[in-house]
Amino acid sequence: MKDYQLAWRNLWRNKRRTMITAASVFFAVFFALVMRSFQLGTYDKLFKDVIESYTGYIQVQQKDYFDEPIIDNSFEIEPVLLQQIQNDQNVTAVIPRLESFALAAAGSVTQGTMVIGIDSEGEDKVMNLRNKLVRFKITPGAVEEIRKEDVPERLKKLLDIYSGEAYTNVERLMMDFAIREGDSSSVLPLIRKHASFENSYLTSGDMSGVLIGNGLAEYLKLGVGDTVDLIGQGYHGASAAGKYVVRGIVRLPSPEIDNILVYMQIDAAREFYDAPGMVTSAIINIKDRDDGDVAVTISRLQKYISDQQALHSWKELNALLVNQMEADNKSGAIMLGILYLVIAFGVFGTVLMMLAERRREFGMLISIGMQKGKLAKIVSFEMLLIGLLGVVAGVIASLPVVFLGHFYPLKFKGEVGQMYENYGFDPVMPTMLPDIFYLWQVVVVLLILLISISFSIRKVNRINVINAIRA
Amino acid sequence: MKKYLRIIGKALSTLLFFMTGITVGAQQISATEIVRKADEKWNGETSGYSLMKMTIVRPSWQRTIEFKSWSLEDDYALTLITSPAREKGQTFLKRVNELWSWNPAINRLIKLPPSMMSQGWMGSDYTNDDILRESSIVEDYTHAIEKEEIVGGNMCFKIILTAKDDADVLWGRQIWWIDQKEFIVLKAELFDEDGYLVRSEIASELRILDGRLLPTHIELIPAEEEGSKTVLDIVEMKFNIKLEENFFSQQNMKSIR
Repeated sequence: MKDYQLAWRNLWRNKRRTMITAASVFFAVFFALVMRSFQLGTYDKLFKDVIESYTGYIQVQQKDYFDEPIIDNSFEIEPVLLQQIQNDQNVTAVIPRLESFALAAAGSVTQGTMVIGIDSEGEDKVMNLRNKLVRFKITPGAVEEIRKEDVPERLKKLLDIYSGEAYTNVERLMMDFAIREGDSSSVLPLIRKHASFENSYLTSGDMSGVLIGNGLAEYLKLGVGDTVDLIGQGYHGASAAGKYVVRGIVRLPSPEIDNILVYMQIDAAREFYDAPGMVTSAIINIKDRDDGDVAVTISRLQKYISDQQALHSWKELNALLVNQMEADNKSGAIMLGILYLVIAFGVFGTVLMMLAERRREFGMLISIGMQKGKLAKIVSFEMLLIGLLGVVAGVIASLPVVFLGHFYPLKFKGEVGQMYENYGFDPVMPTMLPDIFYLWQVVVVLLILLISISFSIRKVNRINVINAIRA
Repeated sequence: MKKYLRIIGKALSTLLFFMTGITVGAQQISATEIVRKADEKWNGETSGYSLMKMTIVRPSWQRTIEFKSWSLEDDYALTLITSPAREKGQTFLKRVNELWSWNPAINRLIKLPPSMMSQGWMGSDYTNDDILRESSIVEDYTHAIEKEEIVGGNMCFKIILTAKDDADVLWGRQIWWIDQKEFIVLKAELFDEDGYLVRSEIASELRILDGRLLPTHIELIPAEEEGSKTVLDIVEMKFNIKLEENFFSQQNMKSIR
């Protein structure tokens, strides 16, 4: 009989002991994976939100703009440079932007805003801006209207929960209102009827229209077709003031941006800020987005730009967010460390117990001629098998949770949600799909096992047969 | 003979100054008196009208704004931008300690919030606070003559102004160079409460405006920013014109030309 066969049979001689040890490994792996997945998924979403709705992956700026982001530090971007960047193998699009701050006023309410002049078509291609237009808005009025119709109780409850929410697509709406594909026929038309939101995108050459963030619209109580006054300081100290018509309302995933954003055509912004032909940045969108790819692309693009310009990666552009996440990541790592420490002692404890329990057995085996080496090998196999059992079970059990959490992310409502939004985060917590971090958890568990195994090998090799038999 | 006496007198008094540090000048005029005289050059009358040109100079660009302004006592002022075309028609109203702005492009009257007080007016180095919080240079500061110095070819008193403890002022300390003959401030250095130099002001090109000798070219140089300054040129100035308090109204902000 082979060693591993012996080990396997040994495992099931004492089922309870095996199960307890395997279970401790299982829980360690399960919790570590789920926790890590939530953490990484949340970071990933935060970064994606801000990158894909605002900063982009790489930006070209005037060299002083990074330290002093004011409109005076804008530059004229030559078509040649745009073309050269566009031709890079990893670049999918380059879009110019002119952005600065301005005070927005509607009625007697004012709010400091960020006015971004965009190339509306380019921005749509890169940032998917058109899809961020609000299509449904569950206003208190709409809630009233829908309640009047014959609707199930559950929907009424959900309406209360999601009152005030704005949706940019039907899928999200169906998910929140628990409408399944099958029964969408009855409820969805009602929502469509009462909560649909008429919106339009910026047309090219529109010099007087703006798109504003949903949060800003709520604060200034602005709807489509309303007028908003913008006032600020333009290029080289010129004054900037103008009246603009709200063409559409966009919902941006990051509340921090959603609350202050005003989009207009770049030519309109150039006129507003008295900065003809200028841009504050050009957003470069790329295909391969890993940190390494970003760095390589930047170094490749470096040769096209002049010494008056600088390239910045999204990590530099969002340094604050990156730092925050790194700090949070550290605390998460410490939690994981503690979790593993507890598990390691658990596993180690059961191993010690097992060795003590089987002292007599080991003594007997050795006295009837079993080699110590072979015995140690079998014990090692046993523990490896227990570990693998726990790891495999943990991974399998975590998969449904992780996948579910990714496609149906946790969403906080009420006070907790409010708290998140106050911090500038979208109160949504998705998980990250299995990735390299899965492997790391397995490696850590195997390391713990290795320590236990080496300990038990030592123990077996040092066994005193006479004493062991008498135990 | 008289001239000689004066020179001797001056020399003596300079000597005296070095020994006691208190008195300067043949006339034995006090520092406070000098400051009051200088202050009255600008603020001596109840009302005034002026036409000015302000040039904002930055390391990489510069631009010029022209404006008219009317004022009554220290509390009321109305300013109308007349050039460039883009800014034309904007008005600013100061009523006691409020500052209002009217912008014809958006048809809107805005009361400047406290947060905007430390910002430069029209992008210049003059802050809104400078315009609003005009403290009494005579009442709120103690004055001491340090020595005599030549500024722009004119002999000046160098006077240190230190803010009194209870005074609500922008500058903790100021140094003024006041012309000895005409009592015109030719140079000033302004320090914050911590004693750091914030900016210098240099006046030159003395001309007679509506019967008074006044500097018509004032340069304002912020201490921390290399290559930046704001230059103010006075084109025209009238004193004691007929103005009522109701001239400084929000209604007039919109209609004045």
